[in-house]
Amino acid sequence: MKNRTSTYYVILLLVVTLVSCKGGEEEYHSVTDKIEAKQTPYHGALSSEELLAGKDLISITEGEHTFLIPERKGQITSYACIECHSKPVSQMKGSDIQKAHWDIKLNHASSETMDCATCHNPKDMNQLNTLTGADLDFNLSHKLCMQCHSGQFEDWKGGAHGKKVAGWAPPRASMTCVNCHNPHDPGLEKRWPVQFNTKTEIERQEGLDD
Amino acid sequence: MSDNKKWFSIDLGLNKKKETSGSCGCGKTSGGCNSHKEELSADEFYEAAIDASIGEERHKDGFEQVFDVKMDRRQAFKKLTASLLIGAGAVSTSCSVTTGKDTKEKAQIDWEEQFKGNYKLMTDDEKQKTIDRLMRSYELRTGKNIAMTAENAEENVLFGYAFNISQCQGYMNCVSACVEENNQDRDSEMQYIRIHEMKDGEGLKFEEADDNYYHEVPAEGHFYLGTQCFHCDNPPCVDVCPVQATWKEEDGLVVVDYDWCVGCRYCMAACPYDGRRFNWSKPEVPENEVNKNQHYLGNRMRKKGVVEKCTFCVQRTRKGENPACVEACPTGARIFGNLLDPDSTIRWVLANKKVFRLKEDLGTEPKFWYFMD
Repeated sequence: MKNRTSTYYVILLLVVTLVSCKGGEEEYHSVTDKIEAKQTPYHGALSSEELLAGKDLISITEGEHTFLIPERKGQITSYACIECHSKPVSQMKGSDIQKAHWDIKLNHASSETMDCATCHNPKDMNQLNTLTGADLDFNLSHKLCMQCHSGQFEDWKGGAHGKKVAGWAPPRASMTCVNCHNPHDPGLEKRWPVQFNTKTEIERQEGLDD
Repeated sequence: MSDNKKWFSIDLGLNKKKETSGSCGCGKTSGGCNSHKEELSADEFYEAAIDASIGEERHKDGFEQVFDVKMDRRQAFKKLTASLLIGAGAVSTSCSVTTGKDTKEKAQIDWEEQFKGNYKLMTDDEKQKTIDRLMRSYELRTGKNIAMTAENAEENVLFGYAFNISQCQGYMNCVSACVEENNQDRDSEMQYIRIHEMKDGEGLKFEEADDNYYHEVPAEGHFYLGTQCFHCDNPPCVDVCPVQATWKEEDGLVVVDYDWCVGCRYCMAACPYDGRRFNWSKPEVPENEVNKNQHYLGNRMRKKGVVEKCTFCVQRTRKGENPACVEACPTGARIFGNLLDPDSTIRWVLANKKVFRLKEDLGTEPKFWYFMD
């Protein structure tokens, strides 16, 4: 009997708490609570389909993330590589043919760590190769980068690193590593800012704004 | 008036088909018309009010066209005083036989724009009408066309932003893209975004940071942090507005009705983040640089004496695009998305990166997070 009364009390308490918490529609303690309460996978009217139309994209799945990345091979001007690299590189070096790739200076890790063959497949120039020598398609070059840059790769998969191809609405299309980083010289350059506010500068010099 | 407009209409003879209830086909403004019997008492009151206030004058040429609106005396005087200039302009143009059709149309638009309601209270139809007027007005004034829209907030969308302070290199491409996208005043060099150059290892010291640097970036031993309107979920700027010219939309955007703003700048004082800007002079944008894809609540041309700010590029984001700053950022330091969508990348950032917001203790709940690699 006593047990039943206490059960009633517990139920009453629960009902009261629920009713009091669900007061107004906007009664959230924080924006995080609001997000949690109202979240729902977006299938609304807005979509990036139109913005992505005409762009050459491929779908990839990495872990639990599936998204689009730009197709790569079509963007490389001298692809397919075997049009010139008909023989292994060792046989082409020093021979009398036209020099190529003179503009490529490798500025990516130290020369002890990386050389051309770390990424390029010397046996089949149309392919890349992983550290263990497995063939890899040029379109999936991010799989090469992730071998060392695992932190960036995790962030990229989730969407914290790198840019989107178009809008915020699904489907998600992200730029891949080589869309922003030159694989031969991946660092971002130092340069001048594109904007300078002369009015602010004058105000500050005149002491109008401190 | 049959349609429930929130502004008063004048008829300068452009919309001849439209008849207001005060007059009928016979051209008389009083008596005579049997079809309006049921409204007689209202009409009588109207007649009496107008007679008492302006008497015989209303029978003069053109004048009654201008005042062919139903309002009581108090209202009439209030409106008259509030819009003396526009009224005078409308009267003079409508009275004149020499002014062209365009001038009259311009005056008509000015009049209707002057007396339109708060955007927040408008129906979709009224929103459409006001943007139509604004587009026509721009066309009449400049001879160029603009495309203005008034998309409402999309359901199940709450916009949020994340800024990676270890990625930002301080190039300021975002700042210049923002200025171009949002038609900000070139004369005063108004900018919504500030990039603060801060010393490594000293925390966030805004008073020591430089937000107007000009040297090669990234500078040694510095990091860069951008600020703009954070579209707070509990925005103090909205609370202080005495005329409700600024409010939070359903998708979380804090917006301003530039036509309702009285320029008191309370909101600027209330904002703890310096997110708002004031037009001390008439904003000037060279005609060839005007971004013609506009939204009523976004980048349409502002006037002197109103407050404006970042709208997360409402004209873009309500079409599914990213804000101009996100698109322009060459480093990918800016992440934008739908906070309500658990599959969005912004949600992944919030769940997996160490994020913080500025002045979180104020309880303003900004929807703008910072994070590091």
